[in-house]
Amino acid sequence: MNPDLRKLVRRGAPSKTAIDRFIAKHTFPLVDKTDVTFIFRGNADRVFLRRWIYGLSAAQPLQRLHGSDLWAVTMELPEELRFEYKFEVVQDSKRRLVVDPLNPVWAHDPFGANSVCQGYRYTRPEWTLEEPEARRGSVQSLSIESNAYHGKREIDVYLPARFRRARNYPLLIVHDGHDYLRFAELKTVLDNLIHCLEIPEIIVALTQSPDRLKEYAGNPLQAKFIAKDLLPLLMDKFPLIDEPRARGIMGASFGAVAALHAAWSHPDLYGRLLLQSGSFAFSDIGPHERGPAFDPVVRFVNEFRQAPNQPAEKIYMSCGVYESLIYENRSLVPLLQAHGIRVRYEEARDAHNWENWRDRLRNGLSWLFPGPLWMVYE
Amino acid sequence: MLGPQNQQLNLRAALDLLGIASRVGVITAGWRDAEGDIKELEVHIGRPVIDLMLYQRANEVFARDEPFFRAHRERQNRIKELQRLYRLRLRPMSAAAYSLLSTESDSHLLRPHERAAIAQIRALDRQHLKLIQGLHEAFEREWRPSERPGLTDHRESLEQAVAACDALLIAGGHVAVLMNRMRLFGMKELLRDRAIIAWSAGAMVLGERIVVFHDHAPQGRRDAEILDAGLGIKRNVLPLPYADRRLDWNDRKRLGLLARRFAPTRCITLNSGSVLHFQDGRIASANNASSLRSNGRLRVVRAE
Repeated sequence: MNPDLRKLVRRGAPSKTAIDRFIAKHTFPLVDKTDVTFIFRGNADRVFLRRWIYGLSAAQPLQRLHGSDLWAVTMELPEELRFEYKFEVVQDSKRRLVVDPLNPVWAHDPFGANSVCQGYRYTRPEWTLEEPEARRGSVQSLSIESNAYHGKREIDVYLPARFRRARNYPLLIVHDGHDYLRFAELKTVLDNLIHCLEIPEIIVALTQSPDRLKEYAGNPLQAKFIAKDLLPLLMDKFPLIDEPRARGIMGASFGAVAALHAAWSHPDLYGRLLLQSGSFAFSDIGPHERGPAFDPVVRFVNEFRQAPNQPAEKIYMSCGVYESLIYENRSLVPLLQAHGIRVRYEEARDAHNWENWRDRLRNGLSWLFPGPLWMVYE
Repeated sequence: MLGPQNQQLNLRAALDLLGIASRVGVITAGWRDAEGDIKELEVHIGRPVIDLMLYQRANEVFARDEPFFRAHRERQNRIKELQRLYRLRLRPMSAAAYSLLSTESDSHLLRPHERAAIAQIRALDRQHLKLIQGLHEAFEREWRPSERPGLTDHRESLEQAVAACDALLIAGGHVAVLMNRMRLFGMKELLRDRAIIAWSAGAMVLGERIVVFHDHAPQGRRDAEILDAGLGIKRNVLPLPYADRRLDWNDRKRLGLLARRFAPTRCITLNSGSVLHFQDGRIASANNASSLRSNGRLRVVRAE
């Protein structure tokens, strides 16, 4: 238990004033060097800590402290770990999931918001925060008539600050591009990395699917959309370097599956892949147990593992240590390397979420698209 | 020599210091295809500015003289290969020198090894520079740029343009591109006896050798490297633009190694707001500039 909390409750139920003072004086959860204590204050029958860490029970009960309205649970926590959580509050047989009312740090995703537990010595990378000196790129919308999907698709395109028609740029195509903008600060990251010369000035196409579980699941239509609809349009509208080494494609989760599938379906088109927490489920023996949405994914990954060929020259992969897909990601690395692909693989003490993917962008982007920081002295 | 101009502009103050009231020429070849975009510069310095357009001139020369362009490209490829080979040797030598600086031992026993390790790096640097200069000399001998028809016109026009200016500014940017273009058009001769104000990469090309460095690259730390010979206009000074951001100030041993490696040439920081004013070969005044000492600490640069 956290020492300050122990002091608070050592003589039994603390007074309301003492609790008020305690809460005003601390930030929550209470993070110590090797563990963390979660505190919930309120009337309830039961309170659980809900966290998404593979291998641990999804719901851990909090204990009411001496009949007060304070609830607490302590868990071990390695340094620099980060994970997202909520409280499940049970009262009168009703259950509700709530963000931690005492913790102002939230992470957002397409499903809402979660509270964030930042372990000892975790700090949010500076380059994910707006840098006042960095020039701002722009994002413009584009409409594509897609033959693959028989209809219009809307995409956004990031152009770096000081964009010039006379220059040729590398290209990065992003699956779940709008989500990367909203939840992983992609625009801020691009502006900052370009400003620091860690990546070159680059054009980024941000695609979004109306039905990602279907379109991103190793779907030939998605690969065709990228290669035959989107890419020719981008080549026509923007001054792009027409070489595979200057063309990358990325995604997270099912988006990573889509990226890998697109590159595998069109070899020698994309020289660079950035794959984050890829949902690379496969089944060597017997059926998989991940549910029907994964059926086409497993079919693709099984086929890929039989004949990976060379989807790209360089592939950056990352995965959270606390994800259920860690095994699948780890097992892909030697397979790719055995086929002559340069792979950089990183793990983080984090789970399947946007801030994990955000925190890895600098390493991934700067390795795949090295910037001119060595040569440019402005 | 000035520090970077993107945060703190002190170019105008430098021109005032030199008493330059009228027309100045500027070299923005380091900006590559952004060359010539000097509106902000003109507004800041409040004087007529003519951009010498070396980057564009070089593109015209290359477009019209294919064999020369191929030879130029081939020379660059050979320099890149030399750089790769140099790096293969530099890495273990630097690691050895650093280990010796970090190890505990009787100083009488340790010091000869430290000195020898640093001497090895210095010898490698000298050899690398000599090999690069050899490539430049061979290119000059074979292709004689100063006599090449496409180039001579440009050189004459540049000579006239420079003669009409009271001072020359050399902007920062891509240091290799800047140096290549300045060498191509024989700028060393044209800059002789001129008032020059140079910042960042512009300051780097004025020295005897160009050293590139960055301790905070996302893919890991790299050793500082000799990239090329400079114009040799300013001797005994190695400018370190944005040293406050590029160097690891927590690692005094590494900084001390840098100083000892290039001694007696002084490694001088050029951060935002830095000014080094040279007159008759001496430092006449300095502001916000420091030289790196062999113990990894800084000494404020003062007038000599």
